[in-house]
Amino acid sequence: MRIRVLPVVAHVLAVIAILPLLWILISALKPAEEVFDFGWPAHWTLDNLRYVLLKIPMPRFMLNSAIVSVAVTVIALFFHSMAAYALARLRFPGRGIIFSGIMSTLLVSLPVILVPLFLVAKQLGLLDSYAGLIVPSIFHAFGIFLLRQYYLNIPRELEEAADLDGCGYWRRYWSVILPLSRPVLASLSVLFFLANWNAFLWPLTITRNPDLRVIQLGVSGMQGQYASAWNLILAAAVIAAVPTVVVFVAGQRRLVDAMKTTGLK
Amino acid sequence: MVTTTAPPSEPRARVRALPKAGMTRKRREALAAYAFLAPDTLGLLIFVAIPMVLAFGVAFFKVDGFGNYQYVGLANYKLMAGDDQLWASLKVTATYVVTFVPIAFVVSFALAMLVRNHFKGIGWVRSAFFLPNVVSLVVVGLIWQFLLVDKRGALSKILAPLGLGDVSFLGTPSLALGTYVVISVWFLMGYQMLVFLAGLKDVPKELEDAAAIDGAGPWQRFRYVIWPLLRPTSFFVVVNSTIGAVTGLQAFDLVFVLTKGGPARATSTVVLYIYEQAFTFNNMGYAAALTTVVVAILVVCTALMFGFTRGGRFDED
Amino acid sequence: MAATPSPARQFSRRSVLRGGLGALAASAAGVPLLSACGGNSSGGDAKEMSFWNFYGPSDDQGPQSKWFVDTVAEWNKNNDVKVKLRYIPGKDYLNGTTLQTAFQSGQGPDIFLISPGDFLRYYNGGVLQDLGSALSEESKKDYLPGLLEARSVDGKVYGLPMEIEPLALYYSEAAFESAGLSEADLPKTWDQTLAVAQKLTNSKRYGVMFETLPGYYQNFTWYPFLWQGDGNAIKDGKAAFDSPAAVQALQFWGETIKNKVAPRKALGDGGGDVVSNLGSGAAAMQQSGIWAVADLRAKAKNFKYGIIPHPTPDGGKPATDLGGWAFVANSKGKNPEAAAKFIAWALGSTDAAGVERQRQWNTVVKTNVPPRKSVQEAADAKGAFGEGVLKKFVSEIAPTGKPEPRFPPEVYQPIADAIQACQLNAADPAKAAADAAEKIDTFLKTYQGAPIS
Repeated sequence: MRIRVLPVVAHVLAVIAILPLLWILISALKPAEEVFDFGWPAHWTLDNLRYVLLKIPMPRFMLNSAIVSVAVTVIALFFHSMAAYALARLRFPGRGIIFSGIMSTLLVSLPVILVPLFLVAKQLGLLDSYAGLIVPSIFHAFGIFLLRQYYLNIPRELEEAADLDGCGYWRRYWSVILPLSRPVLASLSVLFFLANWNAFLWPLTITRNPDLRVIQLGVSGMQGQYASAWNLILAAAVIAAVPTVVVFVAGQRRLVDAMKTTGLK
Repeated sequence: MVTTTAPPSEPRARVRALPKAGMTRKRREALAAYAFLAPDTLGLLIFVAIPMVLAFGVAFFKVDGFGNYQYVGLANYKLMAGDDQLWASLKVTATYVVTFVPIAFVVSFALAMLVRNHFKGIGWVRSAFFLPNVVSLVVVGLIWQFLLVDKRGALSKILAPLGLGDVSFLGTPSLALGTYVVISVWFLMGYQMLVFLAGLKDVPKELEDAAAIDGAGPWQRFRYVIWPLLRPTSFFVVVNSTIGAVTGLQAFDLVFVLTKGGPARATSTVVLYIYEQAFTFNNMGYAAALTTVVVAILVVCTALMFGFTRGGRFDED
Repeated sequence: MAATPSPARQFSRRSVLRGGLGALAASAAGVPLLSACGGNSSGGDAKEMSFWNFYGPSDDQGPQSKWFVDTVAEWNKNNDVKVKLRYIPGKDYLNGTTLQTAFQSGQGPDIFLISPGDFLRYYNGGVLQDLGSALSEESKKDYLPGLLEARSVDGKVYGLPMEIEPLALYYSEAAFESAGLSEADLPKTWDQTLAVAQKLTNSKRYGVMFETLPGYYQNFTWYPFLWQGDGNAIKDGKAAFDSPAAVQALQFWGETIKNKVAPRKALGDGGGDVVSNLGSGAAAMQQSGIWAVADLRAKAKNFKYGIIPHPTPDGGKPATDLGGWAFVANSKGKNPEAAAKFIAWALGSTDAAGVERQRQWNTVVKTNVPPRKSVQEAADAKGAFGEGVLKKFVSEIAPTGKPEPRFPPEVYQPIADAIQACQLNAADPAKAAADAAEKIDTFLKTYQGAPIS
């Protein structure tokens, strides 16, 4: 008997957890006057979404975010898997120091280095450009950590087979390790995409050109211009959130699987 | 020749490669490794390490926000003792950490236990718990501002029959921090749950089954089998949670959007205070000094945590 | 399991040590990098100047945005040195990091907007350009008394105000009717305000609304209540905040919350956003500025409302705060002299086109009181202030006003803390005022900069 209660509890809690999100979705589909009305909408309307998509450069913001998110994800996964492979599998002087150094960067978060990072980016000519949005976002130790854990758990035999075949390190990485990492790369790409699509503070700091605005800046900016129009603001929030939900739902099975294989032992 | 600082993790049995000159092979391996590491190490150096170091350096200057620097040695650090608002912010952050970390831990652990064994619809339930983490903090802030609008927000309407319809959650100093904790837990529970799920998958079912056969009830199975095996995972979660609570985006972006540190400074975390010093008061030097101190405290706390638990392994217990 | 190393052990011991040494070494090397960044090119003769503002070109391309775009286009037509607008949404401009990060790295805009509260920070930082000869004598005399002085130091003018924005109490006719009240019940004193607000408060609405979000704007809206009791934050260079006037003003705001007749959090853009609050029925009376008239006209045409001057305490005198943003030029910008000329032309021109341009800003695309006599005349000729709410603003309310003080952050902050504590945390006003005065005093002792008031 007890066993059957738990799934019910789980379902109920799940509904409660997403209730705020559902509520926003429903409210975004209501006309302005009804936005605070409790209960089921009397009228459904797509006008808010239409307005936000047509009258405000929301599609442009989404394009910018897409470009940045995809670019960062692809490049980061490439670099991180290389670094993780070296840290997990290769022997070389200074391995411990480099690993510790990389991990210690986890203590540093953006608000803490905002101004000096801006200065560095400016010196490198990254101000107000896609490069400025993309390049600094690539380097974060979390992915290296997870991938290293994953690689530590790959049986050495597979690699040693390649070694016997006379493969150089690059071939080993490219033809053996990389294909084996597909599961964890898939889930990391979901996480990276989400993190970059949701980025706010850095894009705010590094871009000035209104055409470079990413989606979160667009949504946040709406609170200033359309402050009283909650229906429009919520519609913008919904539009900003939909791609992340889609990406997540598509990739969600991977997340748990990959977490499992990193084996936090 | 070169003593590697590699930790003793190499397996005893080493596969001898095809006969090659030993030195060249080691060197090739090292060079390959450096090549593989180069992009990320360089990137982290330029975009994380150097700004952090610059931030440390700026702490020794008085900076007025317009590019004027004036060397003042340790003056910025000396100011901290008398800065009442700093201590108040530290207290807010400490309260937040001490409330958020355990609550998030318990909630996400419970959720993980709830969804570890398969049942109908488990996929969507897990996704539902993680969904709050999928949307951005900007959207999270908007959602909760909307739900918590005084009197007309959805939550007020729900509480109205209980006579609590005019309670202002984000506007009452005694309630604002608690509200912020709840919203943070809602935002992060799915993520921590996933980490626990991963850890739970590593608990061999045979052990649990054996314990059950031996007559252990669910609570005993939990206490003597699951909990001990989950220690490293738990440790990782706690450390990550603490770091995030002190300096992560949840300590800044979320508060900034929800309350800007109000009402009456009730949610003014230390990171928000640093931001304020840097961008409202234009005391970049002082802000940098504060940053250094906060990071130092974090390093010490993390080191202590590692020390107490012997690197998260809890070897002796 | 025991064989896997603990990366953490190495991390916590070694990297911190090495990191520490590395940091010391690098910071020594890094600082010159920083100094090289600060204070870039100054006093140049570039051909393009950036103008950062929070009006346009905005996404919705409203009339205010259009005014900015048109004005700049007009300048660019007739001048070699072009102006390029950059729109930053209001919230980010005011509370964000964009301006600060830019100035910190010597990349500040050439022309930008500041409020009176920002003036000293920028002036003391050495980035404001003296408008000097770009501003003609005729132009200077055209400004109402006190306005240029608030933006001057030692007789040199550093900014031109765009507008004068007095504050008043807006009320909703529908709300009053539904509570069975009439115009006779409009409050004239603080006590009346609390009483009337009580009658107007119900499950969907608060009787009165003041700003509760901490910030320069909240201070700005609270000062009139201090001045009504003849109080002042600073007098003769010393802190004068610890006074009965301050205590009673803090108490009044606290009582509105304590008696549950005012909300702890406003909707929309905050306490000054009339459309989201008064206009949506969330509040029956709301303190806001003259800009709200244009907002209501644009977004809530049919909403019936009125204004009254701020209620006064017993024995107090009427007072209001006169806000208003100004154009300023960056003395470390790419072409400060051209920037000064642009500002003087855009806002201060005394020719017909200039007056018309200013009149458009003050009475057509936005509603506020013109800062210049000639513009006031032109506006009157078109009947802008002939009747209704605007007439009341100009004839009754604005004359009781004092310009927004130009307190630096170290004076603003203790006052803000006092307001927040008394309003939202039911703190003791006497203690809060005393604490604030002490902090202001400590600051004033070491302050070296342009005179504060």
